[in-house]
Order: sequence, then structure tokens, then C-alpha cells
Amino acid sequence: MTTRTFAVTLTIPDNEAFTAFETLGRLGIGVARVVRSDIWIFDVDDGAGQSLATTVASIETIHNPNKHRLSERASERPQPGEVWVATRDEAKATTVGGRAIPGVRSIRRRTAWRLLDDTGGDVAPALLERAVETFLCNPAFQVATTA
Amino acid sequence: MSARVAVVVFPGTNSEDETLRALRAVGLDAERVHWSQPETLARFDAFVLPGGFAYEDRIRAGAVAAHDAVMDPVVDAAQRGKFVLGICNGAQILAEAGLVPGTGPLRRPTAAFAPNASGRFQSVHVHVRLNVAPERVPILAGLDPGAVIPAWAAHGDGRLAAPPEELQRIERDGHLAFVYCDRDGKRVPAPNGAALDCAGLVNRAGNVLAIMPHPERDAWTYQHLDASRDRARMLAPSGGIRLFEHFALAVRGGALV
Repeated sequence: MTTRTFAVTLTIPDNEAFTAFETLGRLGIGVARVVRSDIWIFDVDDGAGQSLATTVASIETIHNPNKHRLSERASERPQPGEVWVATRDEAKATTVGGRAIPGVRSIRRRTAWRLLDDTGGDVAPALLERAVETFLCNPAFQVATTA
Repeated sequence: MSARVAVVVFPGTNSEDETLRALRAVGLDAERVHWSQPETLARFDAFVLPGGFAYEDRIRAGAVAAHDAVMDPVVDAAQRGKFVLGICNGAQILAEAGLVPGTGPLRRPTAAFAPNASGRFQSVHVHVRLNVAPERVPILAGLDPGAVIPAWAAHGDGRLAAPPEELQRIERDGHLAFVYCDRDGKRVPAPNGAALDCAGLVNRAGNVLAIMPHPERDAWTYQHLDASRDRARMLAPSGGIRLFEHFALAVRGGALV
């Protein structure tokens, strides 16, 4: 079994990211920009993943080409500067929008957050950690993972 | 003079009208307060956060509203013993603000009303039972022990979730205000998969109550599928109004401290 990871990011204005930006500012966590992505992690049977990228791109529940950019990640871990937030007791899903994907054994979802400073670079890890602790993750039912 | 109650409306709130109607029906001077008017809240005796989808449930249900400027005076008032009732989305906001169960620092939630176990929005008629001694909930003054209140559960994020040690604390220390039950008061599994079959949480002082199902949507008999077609009977009070009657008793009695 192999694992394939995809990131889906809005190419149109992301209202949710903007709301996070506004709320973080109110909490005294000044950042220049917030970028949010949906992370989809698929555990697939060996040999069944060759057409997965094409299949994923065609499922509108995941990816609408009119407003999303789909990219495959090399790892099922966050990239440097990124935090992934997941539900702690996430149920094991095998379908997307009621549709099974051939060869896919399980599907996991994460929300990836990236906080950028005014140079376009990632904010300091301590600031990202503060944002996670105060707002981006509710530890009562979520878990945050950084690189 | 009637006690003044603020019904706090966020962008995305959708249950303020029926909540106002229930509060006014029990004699309270209830008024809608817009999220952009935090400075007006000082003149109110109590606060109700109604249901809806504040800020479209962005980030998490209740998370953005919990940090909204309009919540600052509500949190301050709760700390000073004034009564604060949150229904559905209002309950989610109170949990995200750390006011219920209130076992940790403010704005650092120790529990959550998380996505339903079904992964779907659920709308179902339910009954909830008072699970603590009445003296634990002065916000519902005079409510009978084990009182059963009918309501409509209508939410996608109503499942109480917390680490095991926090769930133990919630149950042991009397924060589990309401549990789901049948019409006879027998505890039943929560339709949303909530831990402890939780339908409502109360803080340590008993002046802040978060309840997930909507009692204001079972406040008149016409709100039942099997309602009478007789107009007078349709407009008769129903079981959900009892929660507001006891809330009114508490508010008229003044703040807790």
C-alpha cells in the first residue's frame, strides 16, 4: 500500500483565510497573509495509484478547476512553515461525496495553514505556534502538526 | 421594571427572531444587539447567544465569534456572575470562548461541540433532561430535578468532544447540565454521538449555560408535526418555553453574585 497526498488551494479570494487573518490580527498576531489549503491523503493499493491524480482532479467535491489549484505533495507531512490541523478522532473514510475511488483504502483530510510575513516568507515558528494555540486548533478535538 | 436581555447577533446568526419571541413571551425585555455594537451591552442584565452559523462556521463552529469584540463584554459579564445562555451555535461559541465547561483559561477551550459522528447536519426532535441538581444551574432558577424539556436538535457540530480526563471532570464536577433522553426522561444515546450523551454544559458557578438543541423551536404547539389545526391550541405554549420561564426567573432575581 502506498500513500499519496494532494493539496487543494483556492485560486479565487479565500474568505476563510481572510477571516483567520482578521481574527489573528485581533488577537495581536500580526501577519501579512494567511494561506489555507485542504490536504487529502489517500492510502491506495500498490499499483492502483497511477491514475489517482487524474481521478482526484475530476472529483468536484475535491477540486473544481474553475477555482482550485491541485498539487501533489511528496510527503504526508507538513512542509516547513506550515501547520496541519486534523480532527483527533477522525473516522476512517473510504469515499468522497459518496463515491468510492478504485484502489483507495482510506482517505484522511487535513487543513493546512501557512502564515506569511510582509516579505512573503513564513513567520517565525514561535508566532505560528501562538496562532495555533490561541485560534487555529482546538485541542479538545483537534491535533496540530508542524514540520 | 422588566429585566433587559441582549440577544447577540453575529453575521450568520439565524435564530434570533424565535429566541426573542420566546424571551418576550416570558416577560423579559429582550433586544437584538448587533455584533458591531459591543459598547451597548453594558446596560443589559443577561445575554443570550442564539443559534445559526456565526461567520459561516469558518475555521471551526463558534471559533471566530468567540474572539469577536462583542464577546468581550459578554465574557466580562459572565465573570461578574451575570447570566449567559447559549443555544446551538451560541453553545459552540461559549465552548470556544472557554466559558463552558469553564475548567481552563478564558478563550482556551477544554471541550468542543465538534462535527457530528455522522459527518452530517442532523435535524431531529429530541428531549433533554436536567442531569445535575437544580442548585447547580441558578441560570434556570427553580427548575425541577430531572426536568425534561423538548427541543429540536438541528446542527452539524453538536458532538461533545474532549480529552478523557476532561470528560471525567465534566461529569464528576457537575458540568453535564443536560443529557439526551426520551420523553419519559430515560437517558438515550446522543443522536450526534456526543460524549456523555451531552446536550448541555454549565460552568462552575452555574451562570453560563450552553445547550445544543433549540428549546425556542418547541415553544409553541404549532411547532410540532402533529400540531392541532385549531389556531388557539396551535399558539399554546409548548414544553420548550419552560426553559425560558426559568431563565426569566433567574434574570429577574439579578446576577449570581
